[in-house]
Amino acid sequence: MKSVPVKVEHEGKWIPTTMGIGEDRFRIDTPLEREVLYKSVVDLEAKKNQVVITAGAEGEFIYRIASVEKVLAVLKKFIITQASAYRLNAFFMSPAIRGGVLIQNAQWEKGAIAVMKTGIWFVSQENQVCIPLEDVTGIELTSREIQEKDLDVVKIDHLSENEVVTSFVLCPMTTLQVLYNFLKEATRDTEVNEEIDPLAGQVAMLVYSGMDSSAIENMLKLSHKDLDAIYEKLLGMGLAEVLYVRKEVQLTPKGVRYISETVKSPME
Amino acid sequence: MGRILIVDDTMFMRTLLKNILFSGGHDIVGEAADGAEALAKYRELKPDLVTMDVVMPNVNGIEALKAIKAADPAAKVIMCTAVGQEQMVKLAVKSGARGYIVKPFQAPKVLEEVKNVLSA
Repeated sequence: MKSVPVKVEHEGKWIPTTMGIGEDRFRIDTPLEREVLYKSVVDLEAKKNQVVITAGAEGEFIYRIASVEKVLAVLKKFIITQASAYRLNAFFMSPAIRGGVLIQNAQWEKGAIAVMKTGIWFVSQENQVCIPLEDVTGIELTSREIQEKDLDVVKIDHLSENEVVTSFVLCPMTTLQVLYNFLKEATRDTEVNEEIDPLAGQVAMLVYSGMDSSAIENMLKLSHKDLDAIYEKLLGMGLAEVLYVRKEVQLTPKGVRYISETVKSPME
Repeated sequence: MGRILIVDDTMFMRTLLKNILFSGGHDIVGEAADGAEALAKYRELKPDLVTMDVVMPNVNGIEALKAIKAADPAAKVIMCTAVGQEQMVKLAVKSGARGYIVKPFQAPKVLEEVKNVLSA
C-alpha cells in the first residue's frame, strides 16, 4: 500500500497525517487509524483539494481528506470503480457546452459512470468529472449526430460556478433509459410543474443571461413595481432566490443642502 | 472591441444580445431579422463580427452564412441557435462559422466567445 501525506478532518480540525492507498482499500493513519474497503464506500463528494468519503451500510463513517490533486485523483479513481454504486461503461462528453457556448474541441471519452448518493461521476483515463445531483438543472433523452449517425444520448445540464454546463452520455439504449429514469427521480424536486406566464418566462430568461434589474426594466419596458411583482412570482415558485436587496433613496433637506453647496462656484 | 451586426428573427433575442454585447464595450452597428437582410446589412456596414441565428424565416442562418462568406471570405460569424439543434454545428463550421452559441446563453461566456473570435 503506497503511503502519501494528507490532511484529515478530525474533531473539527485539519490534522496532517499519512494515508495508504491500496488496490482494494485505503488506510488513514493517526489520529483516525482506520482501514476502509472501497466497496464499503457509498458516496464520494469532491470539493477544492478535498474529498468527502461516506462509507458503511448506513453511511455512518464520513472521512474528509485534503491533499494534492494527483493523490486525490488516484484515490477517487479507486473509489469510483469499486464503490457500492450503480456503475456503467459509457462514452461521455463533459463539458460539451458551457454557459451556452459550444466547446468546439470537446471529445467523447471512453470510461465509466458511477451514480452515487449525491452525484454522478464520469471517469476516464484522463478525467474525473463529478456532477452533484443537487446542481442538476436539466435531463433529456435526446439524439446527437456522432460519426454521421443519429445516436441516443442523455443530456445533463448542471450548474457549476454559476455557469450552466452541459454533458452528454452515450451507451446502449436500455442502459440510457435506466440512467435517465434514475436521474429524473433523483432530481424530481427541481422539476417545474407550474405554468409560467410568458412575461415571467422572459424575465427568468434575462436573469439567466445575467441581466440586472434595470436592464430587464429597460428591455421589457417594465416599471420597478411590475418587475418586483414578477420577481415575487418567481420567488414563490422556487425558481429564483434573492441575491441582495437594493435600496432606492431620495435626498433629505440636509442632502439637498450638501449638493447645493457642492455645486456652488468659488466666485459665489 | 468590435463593430457587431446582430441577426435574429426575434426582437427579444436581438435586444438581449445587444445588451450583453454593449455591456462588453462592443458597438452594435446594425440588426437584421432574417438572412436576406443580414447579407444586405453586412455589405453596407462591413462589421467586424456577425452573430447569426440559425433558424429564421425566408433565408435561414446557414444560407446567410454561406452568402456572407462568399462575399467576404474573411467574415467572422458566430452562429446562435436553440438547445437541441447542436447538430447544425458541423454544417455551420463547414460553412465557415467561427463560433457557436446555444440558447439560452450566459453573458460572460458570450462575451468570451466574441472576444476569442474577434482576436483570432
